[in-house]
Amino acid sequence: MSLLTTIIFVPLVGAIVTAMLPKARTDLPKKVALGFGLVDLALAVVLLVRFDVGAVGMQFTERLNWIPEAGIQYFLGVDGISVPLLALSTLLTVLAILASWKIEKRTVLYFTMIQLLAVGMNGVFVALDFVLFYVFWELVLVPMYFLIAVWGGPRREYASIKFFLYTLFGSVFMLIGILALYLHPSGGTFDMIELAARGGSLPTNFQWWIFGAFFLGFAVKVPIFPFHTWLPDAHVEAPTAGSVLLAGIMLKMGTYGFVRVSLPMLPDAAASAFWTWTIGVLAAISIVYGAAVAFAQTDLKKLVAYSSVSHMGFVMLGIASGTVAGINGAVVVMVAHGIITGLMFLLVGMVYERTHTRKIADVSGLSSGVPVAGGLLAFAAIASLGLPGLAGFPGEFLTLLGAWQSDLAPGIVIVSALGVLFAAAYMLWMVQRVVLGEASPIVAKITDLNTREIVIVLPLVALTLGIGLYWSSLLRYVDPAVKAMLTGMGAI
Amino acid sequence: MEGYWQLLPELIVMGVAIAALFGELLPGKDRGTALLGAAASTAAAVVLLFWGTAEPLFGGMVVADETARFIRIAVALLTAVWLLWLSGRNMDGERRREAVALALFSSAGGMVLAMSADLIVLYMALELSTMPAYVLMGYKRKDIDGLEGALKYFLLSMLTSLVMLYGLSFIYGLSGTTAYSGISLAETGPLGIAAAALVMVGLFAKMSAAPFHYWAPDAYAGASAASVAFVSTVPKISGMAAVVRLVAVIAPGVSSFGILLGAGAVLSMVLGNLAALPQSDLRRLMAYSGVAHTGYLLLALTSGTQIGYGAVLFYVVAYAAPSMAIMLISAEEGPSLTDLAGLAARRPAIAWAMVVWLLSLIGIPPFAGFFGKLYLFGAAIEGGLVWQTVLAIVMSVVSAGYYFRVMREIFFGDVPESPMQVERSVSASTALALCVLATVAVGIGASPLMNALSFSFP
Repeated sequence: MSLLTTIIFVPLVGAIVTAMLPKARTDLPKKVALGFGLVDLALAVVLLVRFDVGAVGMQFTERLNWIPEAGIQYFLGVDGISVPLLALSTLLTVLAILASWKIEKRTVLYFTMIQLLAVGMNGVFVALDFVLFYVFWELVLVPMYFLIAVWGGPRREYASIKFFLYTLFGSVFMLIGILALYLHPSGGTFDMIELAARGGSLPTNFQWWIFGAFFLGFAVKVPIFPFHTWLPDAHVEAPTAGSVLLAGIMLKMGTYGFVRVSLPMLPDAAASAFWTWTIGVLAAISIVYGAAVAFAQTDLKKLVAYSSVSHMGFVMLGIASGTVAGINGAVVVMVAHGIITGLMFLLVGMVYERTHTRKIADVSGLSSGVPVAGGLLAFAAIASLGLPGLAGFPGEFLTLLGAWQSDLAPGIVIVSALGVLFAAAYMLWMVQRVVLGEASPIVAKITDLNTREIVIVLPLVALTLGIGLYWSSLLRYVDPAVKAMLTGMGAI
Repeated sequence: MEGYWQLLPELIVMGVAIAALFGELLPGKDRGTALLGAAASTAAAVVLLFWGTAEPLFGGMVVADETARFIRIAVALLTAVWLLWLSGRNMDGERRREAVALALFSSAGGMVLAMSADLIVLYMALELSTMPAYVLMGYKRKDIDGLEGALKYFLLSMLTSLVMLYGLSFIYGLSGTTAYSGISLAETGPLGIAAAALVMVGLFAKMSAAPFHYWAPDAYAGASAASVAFVSTVPKISGMAAVVRLVAVIAPGVSSFGILLGAGAVLSMVLGNLAALPQSDLRRLMAYSGVAHTGYLLLALTSGTQIGYGAVLFYVVAYAAPSMAIMLISAEEGPSLTDLAGLAARRPAIAWAMVVWLLSLIGIPPFAGFFGKLYLFGAAIEGGLVWQTVLAIVMSVVSAGYYFRVMREIFFGDVPESPMQVERSVSASTALALCVLATVAVGIGASPLMNALSFSFP
């Protein structure tokens, strides 16, 4: 069995096995899911180790004819951009399963859905055939819909359907783009590598429109202002594991789409003033707007959700820059944000499990009541605001650097840089209100994190430190792939 | 005589249809009759699977090509699934044997319709496939609403049949032959356009395409859901095959033909999807969604390319299996949306099967509906119909709105105090399982089907 296929479909086998477990044994599904998740994580680690970091081009490729009449292949491969994201996806899946240990409502269904979600997430990062990519892309919608709709908060029905329709609306435009590329004489294939190679020969006018179609598809997923309104609803209503995977992986699918599809396949449109400005300005607005709205939140989970909008703005800024530093930074932020936001959502979820409230005013003084939880939350907040030495810093630094080097107006970069300041402000204010101070009556009654919970967050804490102190370990993977892509685009 | 052997599948179906009329005398009574019908349809499909194809028969009036084979197999198998289901259930309390006979007659007509390459055969086969459908729609003899719906369907369908016949007579007059091979409307001027338009009125009405769709919601809502399951799917497959063949013949000569089809496509997509949104009766909802799906089909038909025609036939099959299944569930659980409330708790397997069918109808991969839409929209863009395709794609997001309402009822609806308990039935469950299998396999295993329809992307 080939490695990438195995990584994608181990969770599918897990999902099928889980679905067939007897309903009465509510303790079994989580163990089965964890087992399959750990196998998948181990395989991803094998992939990371065996990946040849210096080599250019796709590795571990697999290619089979699927529907030859329509030119559709089963084509997989990874490069330095997708490998870290794939590994992150398998890791967060395991942590999400662990974080759901106490779920008691319809466990068979729950863990089946988590694993189906993992199939889609893994698949998106390794698919190199456009139809296959789209299949995995849409595959994540259904389990996430059910995760929110069945195990979500009070407004779960509204939030889940809004999530589904918004993202479906975006992705159908992507489908138009895929078909248009395929049917254009200079495109003529669903092979994403081939399309990237042929990208430059497409007429600029055509590229411009298709870029727009893909932009709608990806921008909703990221989400960029003004396409972000589904995100706070989905996050607030989703169960903890859903939030972790949504923020940690699914948002990255959108930005990954920009890096894997929009830039290399439509290089002239990507370099055009209109689209760089559109993305640059919307990125800056997302950064500042997300931060400003995060300020005003009284709900801890909503605050983290809006901070995601802000951080994803940095990814988009790096993508708009079109420079090596900018795109390196974008990928680093994608990974770092996945880790840090995953950590934050896990901690918020753990606090919520005890207090049953997410109101900032109700959960104040964590450090005096539950020092471990409080300390970790403060750590995550400080990592999120981009303190040097932690994972939040290098990516945002690189995106700002890249944007400064590019043709984007200095004003956009300066406004975005102010976003870092805002992030420091709202995060520290949150720390002051939630972590420090006297324990509120609710917090005084709760117990601190148990061993299982500490084990869940420990890998993310370690990665936050590791990437923060030694970010060249991550760039070693990313940089050659980004340089190869930009060379292919003729940008460097 | 050689040629008659090619009609063996139709003869099997027809023979059992006649036998079914005497179901009282058959072993197993009604249930046995339905099973026999299912077996006969399956046998017809198996014969077709191994028999292959032949040269045109009867002086070219009937063609037994790969496309015809594919459609005949699809019609026969879907009929078999319906009869298998029927063998375990009933028709709203009415006896079943006539329903078996009617379905088989209609199915035989549909199989011939898929092969017709002559105006006379076309008309006769079309009537044979729809005539039993009128009776099926009015199967509940004592139900006033049902009879009203059936009467509406019958009158409108007959009227439009005659309009179509009128158009066919013009075509005959203009080209001097009823054989497709000799028909050409090129350089016939306004008369050719008028003839084509008259024919299209008839076909639009049979396909329930806007603006000739008004009969469908009323007829469906009055009829037994089990009848709707058959009438809204099986005749649609063969009808679409006939439309494709006819359009391929008459479209090339008539310049404004594309405009007619395109207008029908846009109107059907918009009207069907928007009208389906507020429906609370599953049969009405599926009637309007059927109008919308016909719109997508017409869109690819408008492209006038080989890919477009192949995509139409692929999609109509991809559409038929899940929508038949959904109507069968409606027949088991009750016609209203709220009847489905709590299905997830009552019958979890059926609830998840419904999810598969509904997602396929929305066009979510990896189900058949997605691949069908991929080919349809690909063909439409290839044919230069860009804004219409964008509209179609936006409309399929709108359709997600009402399909999700169904899903919402299933999983989160308010469960009534004493929900109806549906008896277990192995044959009905098998039939529904086959529909799930078809919905998954037709998409992922599209390759051989595309070969049979001889269409491929450039």
